[in-house]
Formats: sequence, C-alpha cells, structure tokens
Amino acid sequence: MKKSIFTIAFALVAMVASAQIKKPELMVIPSDIWCITNGYYTEIENLGTTTKVPNYKQALQENMGLKLAIAKINDLMAERQFPLQSLEQTIKNLEQRRMEDNLTTSKSGNELAESPLDEVARTAKCDIILELSWEVKDLGPKHSISYILEGRDAYTGKSIGASSGTGAPSFTADIDVLLEEAIVANMDNFNNRLQDHFTEMQTIGREISLDIKVFANNATGVDLETEFDGEELIDIINNWLQVNTVQGRFAMPYASENVANFTQVRIPVYDERGRAIDANGFAKQLAKVLKKEPYNIPTKVLVKGLGRAVIILGEK
Amino acid sequence: MKKILLSLLVAACCLPAFASISQKKANKDTNQFRYEIECAGNAIQGTYLVKVWSYSKKAAVAENQCRKNAVHGVIFKGYGGGQGCVSQRPLANTPGVEAQYEDYFKSFFADGGEFQKYASIMEGTTETVKVGKEYKVGVVVSVRKDDLRKALEAAGIIRGLISGF
Repeated sequence: MKKSIFTIAFALVAMVASAQIKKPELMVIPSDIWCITNGYYTEIENLGTTTKVPNYKQALQENMGLKLAIAKINDLMAERQFPLQSLEQTIKNLEQRRMEDNLTTSKSGNELAESPLDEVARTAKCDIILELSWEVKDLGPKHSISYILEGRDAYTGKSIGASSGTGAPSFTADIDVLLEEAIVANMDNFNNRLQDHFTEMQTIGREISLDIKVFANNATGVDLETEFDGEELIDIINNWLQVNTVQGRFAMPYASENVANFTQVRIPVYDERGRAIDANGFAKQLAKVLKKEPYNIPTKVLVKGLGRAVIILGEK
Repeated sequence: MKKILLSLLVAACCLPAFASISQKKANKDTNQFRYEIECAGNAIQGTYLVKVWSYSKKAAVAENQCRKNAVHGVIFKGYGGGQGCVSQRPLANTPGVEAQYEDYFKSFFADGGEFQKYASIMEGTTETVKVGKEYKVGVVVSVRKDDLRKALEAAGIIRGLISGF
C-alpha cells in the first residue's frame, strides 16, 4: 500500500515538474539579407536557377559583431528566464546528423526537402526563430545603426512580431557599442510581442499545416473518396481533426480525391505526457489511426520542417 | 526671553504640521498624476532614462513629485520615441489594472512608498517653465524598469514572459 502511494506521489511530482519545464525554445539567427549582404552565403543550382543560401557557420566563424549580438540577446532573454538555443551548437549537431543521414537512405529513396533554416530549426527543436539584421549607416563622421529583430514561428514561418529602429547618430567608431545599444533599447518591445504570441499559443494552440496525398495507382486502390461504413475517407479525416485540434480549429482550402490541404491547423502545444508536439508528431497520430482497423491504409509521413507534414496514403 | 522661548516652542510644534501640509499639497497637486513623460536618451541595461514634466503652483513641489510620476509613467503610460529613442509600451498594459489593484498602488505610491526604490533623479537636469499661474518642472529620471517589472510580476499584477509555461 505504502509503495503504491509512494509511486503515485512520485508520478504526480514528475508530471508537475515536466509540465513546469516545458517552454518554447528560441534561437537567434542572422537574417538571409544580412548573410547575403555580408557575403556569408553559398550558391546552389536548383532547377536551372542559382539560389543564394545563407551560410550560418561561416558567419559565426568570421563575424565578431554577430557573436556579440547573439550573446547580448541571450543575456537579455536569460534575464526574462528564456535562455536561447545556441546556433553554433545546433550547427555542430546538424553536421553530425548530416553525416549520419549520408550513411542511410530512406525506403523510397526520397530526400527531405528542407531549407537550411528548416534544418536548423528542426535540429534545435526550437519553436521561435529570432532573425537579426543590422546595417551601419555613415553620416559624415557620425555612424548610426539600423536594426531589425524579427520573430518567426518556426512551425509556420509566420512573423510573430518585430522590433526595429535607427539609433541616434554617434561619433563613436565602435560599431559593437552601437549594436549593443540598439539591442538593449529594442528588446522590451520585442518581448512584448513575444508575450502576445505566447498568450495566443496557450489559448488556441500551435499552428501547423497538413497535406494528405494519395499514391497514384497504389495497390490498395484507396483514395480520399473511398468509403468506410458509408463515410468517405476525407470526412473521416475531417472528423478526426475536429476532435484532435484545439477548439476544432483548422481550415481545408482544397480537397479532391487525391489531395487535401489543411491549413491553420491548431494543435495542442504538448501531448498528454507533456511532450512538445510538432507537425510530424501530429501527422503520425493521424497516420496511426488510418493504419488500424477498419481502414488498414498503408501511410507514409514526410517531414517538411516543424510546421508542415505530408501524409501519403496507399503505400509505405 | 520668555516670549522668545514661547515663539520657538510654537514654531517647533508647527514645523511637522507645516511639513505635512506641504507634502499633502504636493500630493494634491500631483494626485491626478498630471505629468508628461518622454524619452531622455539611451539608458544602461535594465533602466529607462525618461524626462518627466510635472505641474504645480510651487516649483519645488513639482520637482519633488517627478520621481513618483516617472515610475507611474513607466508602469501605466509608456512613452514615445524619435530622434534615436525607442518608444516603450507601459509595463502594465492591461486596461483598468490601476483600478483593479488600487490598494497595492495606493501603498506603492504613498510617501516613502516602494516606488522610491526604482527611480533616481539625474542631478543638474532640472528645467523650470512658468505656465500661467503654475510651474512646469522637468527632471530626467532613471527608472530601474527590470527590477520594477520583476516586482510587479511577483505581485501578480503583470504577466511574466514565462507565465503559463
């Protein structure tokens, strides 16, 4: 009897503790425009066009101002009990993961289509990306700094707010001092917007998008209009989303027999065990239901960053 | 001799009363928190540097109340930016919060109240302007906004960034 009471008490304490420690993870990265303007990018050939992709590693290794800015923002966020994920450490983890990925291939041979930002966000498991950019402006002997800090939901890529401004022109030649001043002056405004976002997230859940596709000519012959007990599969999926989203919030802007797009899907921030859920986790929950009786549909879940997942029906 | 002693005695008795009347007058003059607040430049980390203009029929009274008004302004008004300054929202930006926590703020802004811990006047920054029958006195005040915010969060008046997690 004593043992059971002790076990229950321990489980309760563990649950409370795990609920308390869960909070969104934040990470500062230099913005694309800052990376490209300052020459920290790699050119990639993609379908005949050249794309400039930010090279975060090079930026961190070569730009002291960036490291100082990240350290200052980290300092200010830690003061608000929100220490940041380290971009530098995330890149190291990402390189490790890439090495491992190169040694394995997926069953279908498909590659994950992710941008460097998606990769970084997913590796760091961060919820919010703080995109930082600044530019030094010279007005005769004086310098000033134009500064932008924009928060993006790593799940949807949507902006959750920004703080920006141009500091007063100063005779100081030390750009790092101006940058530090700009960060200190703008951080409270940024945190106000962040707080509004957290309040919204706690109330109506986290936003993701979900696509359901059907393998053409799949062996099971299933599509979204296939009926189970007189109900079409698309309606079954709709009903499942109605129950499993926060306040039944989602939209279905497009649906056909082969494709259904669900947007503004509001998923719970954490599952019943207190673990953070992303689009992949949520899609897997739905896939699990479809794989079981009475549907028995083979499914494949593809990850497209933290906030988008694709379920392909008909084959594994 | 007796007369002199008597006068001194009367004066000694009346002095605290006069001081009290003077303070009450100061509070009466500024009780409505009639002031203007503006940015006074970039401050060091954890503080806001604001210029507060207070009104009173006596210049000294207005100057005395500037610290109180500066803290009040940072909590309830915020201030605009421009010329290199960044505008700031009030720490308590929920409408009606002052009335909701009336007792707390009455004690907080009382003479010798907790507000004093969060504001210090920058010496040599006082400006006095005569406006009609009263004085408008401007003083630059440094407000320790991080500590002030933590105190308000601890009192449950404003939400911390970490609230709900």
